Amino acid sequence: MMILIMAWRNIWRNKSRSFVIILSVALGLFAGIMVQALYKGMMRDRIKSLIYTEVGHLQIHENEFKKEYEPSLYLQQLPSLIQQIKQTPQVKAFATRSIAQGMLASTTGSSGIQMNGINPEQENVVSALKNKLIAGSGFQNQKKNQLLIGKKLAKKMKLEVGNKIVLTCTDQEGNMVSGAYRIAGIFQSSNSMWDERNVFVQQDDLNDMLGIAGESHEIVILLHQDELTLTTQQKLQNQFKKLEIETWQELSPETDLMVSAVDITSYIIIGIILFALAFGIINTMLMAILERTREIGMMMALGMNKLQLFSLVLLETTFLTIGGVPIGYSSAWLLSTYLHKYGLNWESMGEEMMRSFGFSTTIYPEFPTDKIAGTIIFVLITAFISCLYPAIKALQLQPVEALRK
Amino acid sequence: MDNTVIDAHNISKIYNKENIPVYAVNNVHLHVEKGEFTALVGPSGSGKTTLLNLIGGLDLPDEGSITINGEDITRMSPNELIDFRLKNIGFVFQSFNLIPVLTAKENVEFIMQLQGIDLGKREQRIHVLFDQIGLSDKLESRPSQLSGGQQQRVAVARALASKPKFILADEPTANLDSQSANNLLDIMYKLNQEEHMTFLFSTHDQRVIDRAKRVITLVDGRIVSDTASQILPA
Repeated sequence: MMILIMAWRNIWRNKSRSFVIILSVALGLFAGIMVQALYKGMMRDRIKSLIYTEVGHLQIHENEFKKEYEPSLYLQQLPSLIQQIKQTPQVKAFATRSIAQGMLASTTGSSGIQMNGINPEQENVVSALKNKLIAGSGFQNQKKNQLLIGKKLAKKMKLEVGNKIVLTCTDQEGNMVSGAYRIAGIFQSSNSMWDERNVFVQQDDLNDMLGIAGESHEIVILLHQDELTLTTQQKLQNQFKKLEIETWQELSPETDLMVSAVDITSYIIIGIILFALAFGIINTMLMAILERTREIGMMMALGMNKLQLFSLVLLETTFLTIGGVPIGYSSAWLLSTYLHKYGLNWESMGEEMMRSFGFSTTIYPEFPTDKIAGTIIFVLITAFISCLYPAIKALQLQPVEALRK
Repeated sequence: MDNTVIDAHNISKIYNKENIPVYAVNNVHLHVEKGEFTALVGPSGSGKTTLLNLIGGLDLPDEGSITINGEDITRMSPNELIDFRLKNIGFVFQSFNLIPVLTAKENVEFIMQLQGIDLGKREQRIHVLFDQIGLSDKLESRPSQLSGGQQQRVAVARALASKPKFILADEPTANLDSQSANNLLDIMYKLNQEEHMTFLFSTHDQRVIDRAKRVITLVDGRIVSDTASQILPA
């Protein structure tokens, strides 16, 4: 107990020096936590965008469909499947889609694309496609062969709303089929790669081309909560054993990988910051030890053993190090909460670059509550490592020599 | 009954052994019994502090052996020596050496905590000790708020806290004015008389020498005289 009191009071013997170290730790933590908050905000937005505008929580296909995107592999017994999905309480909304891999050709060139035959009303709920329109009025009722094209593809192909293009693919019997479509709208999501690869047509139009009237290749499901994904997948999989039911993590493994990589990266950044800070802490502690050589010698003479002396140095270092934690945390919390509300616009950093990675240009950082424990462990490890050299110096002192100083 | 507290045999401390050896302490025999009030005197560089350091287990002799209360401290490991010092020897240093961040009470309590004495007994002993040194009203004062004399009295209380077998004091009055020095000597003398606490101190101070029961004179690391002196009243 007395060692604890001594350690606490010792760090205030040189207030300005201790404040500098405490503020350095606070600043380092602030920077580290803000990086974590930015990453967390970016990843949350990316996952949200992936689920709510691209793939949904779950997708259902025939088992072999995604290997070759064979048009004949549409979902069997679709009405009973839809009926079952409607009766699943976890399901908030769903949409059926017909899918075909093919070619988009215009007078200016051609490009490989995925055609998504959709039901616009369902799709507006599941992927908010209407909200992504930046030009044109979208699908008009009664009009056939309308198409929505992504901004990036439109730009690449020099296409505008109202232009005519030709879609070519193979039908369910393997025959090449083509259809002329008119651009009814241009959409833009936060993922420019996705925008370049996907076009949307009405499901009936695509089904006519593929010769699969009334059928669907894909059902996209949106759940009431993200956390229900795995349990709902298992539940549906038990009911439809022959179908392939995938979660968003399985549908977009690169996003899942990115989340893990970003988690690790944020810890690495904090580690680097604390590693740099450790040198400052070592220097401060070393000065504190050298200034108190005589006092330490006296304590050893009186009977303070090496473990107690080590504990004293360790406690002083820990106090100095963790002293900055509340300041670093609270300032990072304040700023991240503010930015979470108002957003941080990174448009000037390169809109195209951000979108090409699937991120929106406005980031809403999120305070990384889940990483507090991990970060504090990092700080304590830093304190321990930083105290080693000064502690060894203190332990090497001989009382009789130290008392002469 | 054997009353021997300190028994040093043929002890020498030699510096610069490889080139021209310098004997800080040269073949010293010293025998101190319980209840002695002994002054080590001699000119600067005569080896007083070195001898105290050897007896206190702060330094090891190059030759000879030192037995404290029947235990040979020259055969102890550094860790055993730390523990031995804590339980058996009280130290009073010339420049007080109180821990500046602790209060007077905490400075004394610190030693008892190192010994693992429980809170109740610590509190009890602190009050007895501060009564003895006459500083019961200064328990919560930091060393910087105490005069030199008061600090040295706290240092004496600290030395007594662990109930040592004897107290080593290195020039305890050197940094004190006359009044403070006399007060300190009164306390030490009283402890010696009433509690039979053994004191061995190095000093230049004639007042200390005058009140010592025994005076040992060191010159060039050797004991040149060892005589009991007349005890004079304060």
